[in-house]
Amino acid sequence: MKVTLTSVYSPYCFPTLLKSSSLSTLCRPFCSSALPSPPTCVKPQVPIFLRPPIYSNKLCDLNKWHDWAKGVAFSIGSTFVHSDNGPDSSILCRELKWLMEDAVEVPSLDDERVRMRIDIEELYCLWKQRVHERRPFQYVVGCEHWRDLVLSVQEGVLIPRPETELVVDFVSDVVSENEELKRGVWADLGTGSGALAISIGGVLGSGGGRVIATDLSPVAVAVAAYNVHRYCLQDKIELREGSWFEPLKDMEGKLAGLVSNPPYIPSKDISGLQAEVGRHEPRLALDGGIDGLHALLHLCDGAALLLKPGGFFAFETNGEQQCKALIDYMENNRRGSFCNLEIRADFARIQRFVIGFRQ
Amino acid sequence: MSCFVRTKRLSLFLVKLVGKSSLSPHILCSSSWFCCPRKTAPYCVPSSALLQIRFWAAASTSDGLTLQAILANNWSILDENDGDWKSHASAIARSIHLIKRRLQWDKLKPRLDMLSFQLNKADFWDDPMRAAKLSREHGSLLGKMKLVNALEQDLLDHIDLIKLARQDNDAHLESESLKALVNMRKNAKEKELEALLAGDQDSCSCYIEIQAGAGGTESMDWAAMVMQMYMSWAQRRRYKVTVVDEMPGEIAGIKRATIKVDGEFAFGYAKAEIGVHRLVRISPFDSNKRRHTSFAAVAVIPILGDGSTHVQINESDLRIERFRAGGAGGQHVNTTESAVRIVHIPTGVTATCQNERSQHQNKASAMAVLQSRLDQLELARQAQLNAQHTKSLTDITWGSQIRSYVLHPYRMVKDLRTNYEVSDPDSVLEGDLDGFILSYLSASLDKDDDA
Repeated sequence: MKVTLTSVYSPYCFPTLLKSSSLSTLCRPFCSSALPSPPTCVKPQVPIFLRPPIYSNKLCDLNKWHDWAKGVAFSIGSTFVHSDNGPDSSILCRELKWLMEDAVEVPSLDDERVRMRIDIEELYCLWKQRVHERRPFQYVVGCEHWRDLVLSVQEGVLIPRPETELVVDFVSDVVSENEELKRGVWADLGTGSGALAISIGGVLGSGGGRVIATDLSPVAVAVAAYNVHRYCLQDKIELREGSWFEPLKDMEGKLAGLVSNPPYIPSKDISGLQAEVGRHEPRLALDGGIDGLHALLHLCDGAALLLKPGGFFAFETNGEQQCKALIDYMENNRRGSFCNLEIRADFARIQRFVIGFRQ
Repeated sequence: MSCFVRTKRLSLFLVKLVGKSSLSPHILCSSSWFCCPRKTAPYCVPSSALLQIRFWAAASTSDGLTLQAILANNWSILDENDGDWKSHASAIARSIHLIKRRLQWDKLKPRLDMLSFQLNKADFWDDPMRAAKLSREHGSLLGKMKLVNALEQDLLDHIDLIKLARQDNDAHLESESLKALVNMRKNAKEKELEALLAGDQDSCSCYIEIQAGAGGTESMDWAAMVMQMYMSWAQRRRYKVTVVDEMPGEIAGIKRATIKVDGEFAFGYAKAEIGVHRLVRISPFDSNKRRHTSFAAVAVIPILGDGSTHVQINESDLRIERFRAGGAGGQHVNTTESAVRIVHIPTGVTATCQNERSQHQNKASAMAVLQSRLDQLELARQAQLNAQHTKSLTDITWGSQIRSYVLHPYRMVKDLRTNYEVSDPDSVLEGDLDGFILSYLSASLDKDDDA
């Protein structure tokens, strides 16, 4: 069943930002002005927590829904854990708590009524989608808490993962010691929700450094633009629609830094993914080709071309095997292009990232 | 002495003339003078000779009633609203007595004499650092002593006034004096509390950690009730409460939890709750309706303010790991479970937070918990003085039971340390804990005195 969350409210409607999916508009600055609305535009959905609390419901009805939803969560037990390492009851219960937080306005109207950002009918529907269809919780509430950000996400955009938070720490460490890189132009390729671009925009501060974020998917670009606006970083972050380096042809040898969390899952593994991922998240952001390295190797080539000498890069990978393959490729096929190559682990001790500098 | 009595008589007469009791302006100003001893109250002292008399001779009313005598009379203390003057006087006398104990009154005089002797020595200022220190201490002790003596003197003056008013059948003066006595009672109670919470960390916010004892679901449910009790208590006191970490039980309740209580004196009060709490009831989880006894351990950790020295944590000493990690991670997995566990390798101290919605924030919260635990370890190492308040959960043995909550066959909550008891367990479980806490804090003063 296809899930559509019809969002009728769009109070934060900014000028439509996107000019279809034409790849010919590669280098055009994105958020510059109110361009005439193109015929097909992607309208980002508003996360529940940002919607106005226009619904008034009886507290007892809310409790009834909550008890029902809790029952549904408990009925799952560890079924999903066994089938595909999905969520268990305790995780679902915590999500239920967060859904309440997002949906219900605090303080309540009085002892009997609460103001809500979404109707109770829809809550029933959403929770069924969450549990029975395994729709990711982040799509249900329309947002993901990532580092210190709350990012809007929706179908068609990869939900940023906790592991990726570390990439920002790497960048932060590098720019704290190198003022020149801090003032330079950074790129986030395959930005998705814009998580890395926005965080790095924050890390660069007010010193003149800026970020160009690209994505092939028009939905991703629209959602990223929405998030950039929410954090008022439109002067610092420029969005360009297109495949990897294509929109960056003007930046050859000019980039101070390059980060990416590209699709890296080997194609054969896609069918066995956890239902939340495999059934709902965009394949474009996950499938890395036969060995999962398709995009990553392309990024290595592009990094050699676009980074200026001393420029920094950080890529997320599938694990130890891909990290080693990348290092091997850079040392042999791109001999003399990079230095100080390093593999870094995530908090689960999986060798997750390759970082280094342009020679 | 006769001169003193005459002076006082005169002042009483003057008050009567003016028609209102403006005897002691400082009683109404509720400055926290235990924290800033140099702030002296504008009490009008007739002469230094008189001051000496007020210090060391036991002050008394015109008919010879002293603070000790009031205490010895053991007048019953009634509610503020319906007590007579004896009840108020008795309550104030107790507060003063308690403040004196907190100040170690008996040792104060010899110490002050010693300091005066030093101050008067010709070579006193040869060592300016030491001299400054001693003269500061002298000033501070003298200030405290003056204030307590003033409080005592005011009490006796008020009693005198009331008696005088009765003698003269002056209803107006009597009611005014009684009103002043009630005000004084409230004020003395506040000062008493401040005196109780004068420890170094008492003013800090704190973490309260709760862990279920053995006994499965019933004791996990009990741990959840204890956690709820502290959350309600904190809300009643208008503290900000947040759940930092919570590990739910399989069927009900919690295995363990950490809550953060933000606000002034949170640690000072909550430290009274450290230990094992025991529950006796018919378990709702037992289909045979049998009576069960279960336990929950409570630890309280102060969160040191910015002014305190924190233990320096080296990034390289930390191991940060995903909680419940497993599988390939990264893009393979979509989970809202982003809790991290931080291990401080040199000490083995760990902290977890799973309450926040992002890993970054979970890590920041866990770091704050870790910092407080390490600070606490360091405090315990530095000062054995505080040892009883710096126990971590693992130190609390199941033998260190502090309180019993019995819901069946009778209903009662009893503190095993102070014997303070309440026959309404529901109110206690709803967070009405102040009676227990204050009686414990007062009792621990007794212990300090004995030591």
